[in-house]
Amino acid sequence: MANYLAQFQTIKNSCDHIVIAVEDVSDLWPNIKSGFEERVPIKRASLNNKTRNPVLVENFPCEFILTTDSRLRSRFPQEQSLFWFREPYATIVLVTCEDLDEFKTILKPRLKLIVQNDEKEWFIVFVSRAHPSNDNAVKMAKKVYAKLEVDFSTKKRERCCKYDIHGPEANFWDDLESKIMECVRNTLDRRVQFYEDEIRKLTEQRFMPVWNFCNFFILKESLAFMFEMAHLYEDALREYDELELCYLETVNMPGKQREFGGVDHGDDWAALLNHENKPLTQIVQDDSFREFEFRQYLFSYQSKLLFKLNRPFEVASRGHSFIIGFSKALTLHENMLPFCMREVWVITACLALINATASRNYDGLVAPDIEKEFYRLKGDLYSLCRVKFMRLAYLIGYGADIEKSPVNSALLSMLPWPKPPVWPSVPPDASPEVLEKEKVILQATPKIKHFGIQRKPLPVEPSVLLREANRRRASLSAGNVFEVFDGRPALIDGSASDASSRIPLSKKMNTISMLRTNSSPGTFDGSVDRPMRLAEIYVAAEHALKHTISDADLWKALSSVEEFEKKYLELTKGAADNYHHSWWKRHGVVLDGEIAAVCFGHGNFDLAAKSYEKVCALYAGEGWQDLLADVLPNLAECQKMLNDQAGYLASCVKLLSLDKGLFSTKERQAFQAEVLRLARSEMKDPVPLDVSSLITFSGNPGPPLELCDGDPGILSVTVWSGFPDDITLDSLSLTLTATFNADEGAKALRSSTATILKPGRNTITLALPPQRPGSYVLGALTGQIGQLRFRSHSFSKGGPADSDDFMSYEKPTKPILKVFKPRPLVDLAAAISSALLINETQWVGVIVRPIDYSLKGAVLYIDTGPGLNIEESHVIEMETCVKISQSSAEMMNCKGTQKDCSLAPIKEFQQLKLHNGRIEFPAWASDTNSVIWIPVRAISDSLPRGSSSVTPQKQSNLDGMRTIALKLEFGVSHNQIFERHLHFTDPFHVSTRVADKCNDGTLLLQVILHSQVKATLTIYDAWLELQDGFIHTGQGTGRPTSSFFPLMISPTSRAGIMFSIRLGKVIDKDTSFIHKACYYVETKHRAFNVIRSKAVQGSCHGTLNDLMSRLKFEFASCLKKFSWITDEVEALETESILNIRYGISGERTNGAHPPVAVDGIETEDARQDLLFKSAIVLQRPVLDPCLAVGFLPLPSTGLSVGQLITMQWRVERLKGPEDNGISEHNGEVLYEVSANSENWMLAGRKRGHVTLSTIQGSRIVISVLCVPLVAGYVRPPQLGLPEVDESNISCNPPGPHLVCVMPPALSSSFCIPP
Amino acid sequence: MIVCVAVVGHQNNPLYIQSFTEADDALKLHHIVHCSLDVVDERVNNPKKSGLTLNETFLGLLYPTENYKVYGYLTNTKVKFILVTTDLDVRDADVRNLRYGIAKFFRRFHAAYVDAVSNPFHVPGKRITSRTFAERVSNIVKSFGLSSAG
Repeated sequence: MANYLAQFQTIKNSCDHIVIAVEDVSDLWPNIKSGFEERVPIKRASLNNKTRNPVLVENFPCEFILTTDSRLRSRFPQEQSLFWFREPYATIVLVTCEDLDEFKTILKPRLKLIVQNDEKEWFIVFVSRAHPSNDNAVKMAKKVYAKLEVDFSTKKRERCCKYDIHGPEANFWDDLESKIMECVRNTLDRRVQFYEDEIRKLTEQRFMPVWNFCNFFILKESLAFMFEMAHLYEDALREYDELELCYLETVNMPGKQREFGGVDHGDDWAALLNHENKPLTQIVQDDSFREFEFRQYLFSYQSKLLFKLNRPFEVASRGHSFIIGFSKALTLHENMLPFCMREVWVITACLALINATASRNYDGLVAPDIEKEFYRLKGDLYSLCRVKFMRLAYLIGYGADIEKSPVNSALLSMLPWPKPPVWPSVPPDASPEVLEKEKVILQATPKIKHFGIQRKPLPVEPSVLLREANRRRASLSAGNVFEVFDGRPALIDGSASDASSRIPLSKKMNTISMLRTNSSPGTFDGSVDRPMRLAEIYVAAEHALKHTISDADLWKALSSVEEFEKKYLELTKGAADNYHHSWWKRHGVVLDGEIAAVCFGHGNFDLAAKSYEKVCALYAGEGWQDLLADVLPNLAECQKMLNDQAGYLASCVKLLSLDKGLFSTKERQAFQAEVLRLARSEMKDPVPLDVSSLITFSGNPGPPLELCDGDPGILSVTVWSGFPDDITLDSLSLTLTATFNADEGAKALRSSTATILKPGRNTITLALPPQRPGSYVLGALTGQIGQLRFRSHSFSKGGPADSDDFMSYEKPTKPILKVFKPRPLVDLAAAISSALLINETQWVGVIVRPIDYSLKGAVLYIDTGPGLNIEESHVIEMETCVKISQSSAEMMNCKGTQKDCSLAPIKEFQQLKLHNGRIEFPAWASDTNSVIWIPVRAISDSLPRGSSSVTPQKQSNLDGMRTIALKLEFGVSHNQIFERHLHFTDPFHVSTRVADKCNDGTLLLQVILHSQVKATLTIYDAWLELQDGFIHTGQGTGRPTSSFFPLMISPTSRAGIMFSIRLGKVIDKDTSFIHKACYYVETKHRAFNVIRSKAVQGSCHGTLNDLMSRLKFEFASCLKKFSWITDEVEALETESILNIRYGISGERTNGAHPPVAVDGIETEDARQDLLFKSAIVLQRPVLDPCLAVGFLPLPSTGLSVGQLITMQWRVERLKGPEDNGISEHNGEVLYEVSANSENWMLAGRKRGHVTLSTIQGSRIVISVLCVPLVAGYVRPPQLGLPEVDESNISCNPPGPHLVCVMPPALSSSFCIPP
Repeated sequence: MIVCVAVVGHQNNPLYIQSFTEADDALKLHHIVHCSLDVVDERVNNPKKSGLTLNETFLGLLYPTENYKVYGYLTNTKVKFILVTTDLDVRDADVRNLRYGIAKFFRRFHAAYVDAVSNPFHVPGKRITSRTFAERVSNIVKSFGLSSAG
């Protein structure tokens, strides 16, 4: 059957669509051919796939061929069955007939003959040639067609349709198409069934010796081809897949060693997409095919179908794995293949796949992930191609031009060298080339990295080529081929399995002799003894490759360094671009770096910088510092070349901020030197630079600096420098950002002096101007180095900058500074609340309580208000305030730490001086509570007044109130003004009452002393200076008995002193004045007499003048004295003065205390007697009657209108003439009776004088006759004594207010009976 | 032969990377590990396509190149373990074998990692500098080499 292979191929190539046979019975085809062929391809066709499921095929292609055509004739039956797929799938029988008889006799038997073959799927098209206008003909045609239908159509299947040549019916074509498709479908099903049966039969025999893969292949491919013709590509693809599986199973079957293939010229050029590369007949080997060609053949068909299915992604994906897999297969057979055949094949295969799929981008037609995957695969293909290409380039000596980057190293250093059985040797005539290569090798200088960075270049070879190549030659040179092969596995590092060990020895011998590279035995001998030099290896490889490579383009790309770079760039760009479109961004970016390296080499710094930036950003973004350290110097160099100062500086800073282990100190110093060189000299304009990764800063550990509103301070900040050496910053400023208010711009603290940062930790202090209240965090650090304005944003937690800083967690922004809202910083309070003595110098205590604020250097200004006086000459005392309870906060502290509390108050005491009203605080007082004692005297001119128990006088505290203004200056601009009220008072409040009034006129005056102070008062003496009108009883001075004294009065208690007085004579003011004045004049009388006598004696002018002036003086003093006397008289006579001499013993910490001795000669035991004076007003008794008027009782019968009654008053003299205050006229008293004349009629004298003896107890009775005029309660007549003051009259018994007057008694004479 | 193991943080930053090659070529392994993150990302972002089930930590073979293989493992905290090996003929069945396969290797590696980051002095997200961890990892690598060889 394998003989049919060639024929099979030709048939396959000649027909690629389904054939429909046309049995033209009535020679109609030429007329209707065009109409039929217009319908092809059939728009929509329904077919069954292999699993008998309906599949919709669009644009189903088919061809109408007459049965008489040569193509359908003259086929052998065996051929027919074998290549059944090309036989017609349907037969259309074209008939026409216009006569029933003719139909019955001629047409019908003929048709029966045609359709009797069961194999065929057929149907009849009746062509009606009747013109529509010819009714007869139309009818006839209908009749014939009806007859036809009856004869040929069955119930199961319609097999007839009618075609009107003059105008087909509308549904004819659809009918036709469906009928065609029905036939095709049935035929296809039957044939698929046939092939499947055949294939099954063969498969069952698979493990029998007779089994032949070629037969299986023909059947399988026929089926596949049939599916393909029917546009059932999926099924076709499946057949090929099965075929491939089956092939791989058979080809790898042990025991059947076959030729691999691939040794023909041109085989290196991958044919994985070119199925017409080699005819199958050429690759037949025994009963199967050569693997090398056949696998490519299968893949090419698979890819063809996939492209037809519009699935380029799958082509790429299958292609990639195919290449990888196939490459492995090539490795296994490498020792039989030409030198580097594998590499060349992979390159060409990748390029072929790339080209085939290049034009077939999906462009959004499929799901994005498929599209991305597609790009990724293409990137992979490019990448694979690139690797192999580089490997070839290395072999021929372009290794120096391959960038020793991590990506190239990763790809190449693990890729084993080609393993030819014998390394190619130098052709005899190649010595000029060798010289050339050697020159190149010698000239090649290792690339010097910027900044003098020295790194061992990464390997791009798995082992040293020189050794590898010579070893492969040396082992041969031993001359013992067997040893070579046996010994090799031991020599090889074992990383890749060596296929040669599996090959039987006899074969090995053949392979050696077959080697193409083994050009002539002569060269062998010539170089056997001597190991090849590197240049020779290159040249030898180049020559060997030239033999291998049949692709002119590829060879061209390897022909010179320039061409190599061109191709290299093309492949790299291709890979990078595709990766960029895929998920594999990193791959893309890394390859961009490779492109950049080439650009860099060509001096295209702009492009190089752009690509390098991307690479650096990728590595930096994810913290791959090792990789970054490899690329970043290149970027820096580009930037330097481009004169991109900002970029260059940023790169230098970045280099400095990388892990310290990545660069040596020397290198790091070089980076710093570059930064400084630029900053100090080269730059013209200031350049901003972010050094966040290099210079970090943080506040000092511990609580933030706390300041009060308006206070300046000094902020201490830790700055970490990542520079390897000291660096001088010309200026430095640090911004503080308020956490409470984002709008508020950050405030910068500047330090304009140069700062030198040591490597590592530095502490920097900055002056902090007053800030607004709030809490502040560190913002940014900025500064200047030469022309460089740097800026750092990063905080460090108190350690050096983290090496992978991008990762660091969001650092809590710890406030570094807290400025408090305006609040009281200090409190000044009076030390005591109780009253102090007025008019005495008293210690006024002021407690100074700093509230969490230092009062260092504070100055207190004291301004006394009116009525206060500070004894400036006296010292002011200041001491620690021990009253812990002053502050509740302190109380808390005390509770918490008892021990501390007991230790804390160290009593301080200091005497201060007051200068111009200011006191400077001592240092110890800056943080502790202290009390200042100021000697103050409250002055009050007014004399305290006692109150009487009869009219209790409300005591007013306001009198004793004084205000002291205190201004405390502290901090920078804090001055607080306090006004503190001080309460001063007299020691006593005096109240008086008359305790008893004796019959002899003696009054017992009780003086009650209320102590007003919190101090014990001791009374040593008390005396009363009485006012006019009162006198002391007896002849005493009014002092109580001295044995009562001293009298102690406890704080706020009371004591009483009794004085015995009596009313005295009221001395007239004038009289008193005259008395006193005269007395004075009398005393002066002598002085005047002296003047007079001197004036009489001496007449000299001088003496007179002297006398005159003396006289004037005397007069003046007299006048002065008189005015004094006037005052004295005026003053003394109205109130009495209580004088108390007392002492006080008290503590200034409690309240009133003994007065401060102003002169400073105060001694401890000297008793200070103080004098307290209080005015007491005594009033003479108000009621002092001298006459008594008594109303004598009225008659008991009662009063009635018109009745005459006598009203009687008795007037009695109560006092004798001596103390009678009434003006009298010869013992006569004026009386007057007044009565309402409407109520009363009076008879007798209503007014007149009566004589009353001036002797005490004399009395008279005044009678008045009167008649009541109206009835009712009326006021009776009253007796008044107009000349006597009412207060001197006592009514006893008192007269009635109202009297009842009855109506007049009825008179019988006037009585008239009704 | 395992040539490199690496721990990569959830932000794709290297936490630990250790190569076991003689030559001074760690950088290329850095590159391989870094680029393999592309595949991890892809798998994680397209779980459906890769057939990755959510609770499966072992990502399997990431990188089928001709010359080396890269395996991945993803913890629940999105920390990745990457293994680069030059053993090319490991079958997939062996890889997932929990008794001696690479999955087993990753389990042990994961345990070592968990112990290392449980150290209170370790800052999460920072490089692992623990020497104990390094020793343990190299032991795991060595023992894996033995078991896979045997």
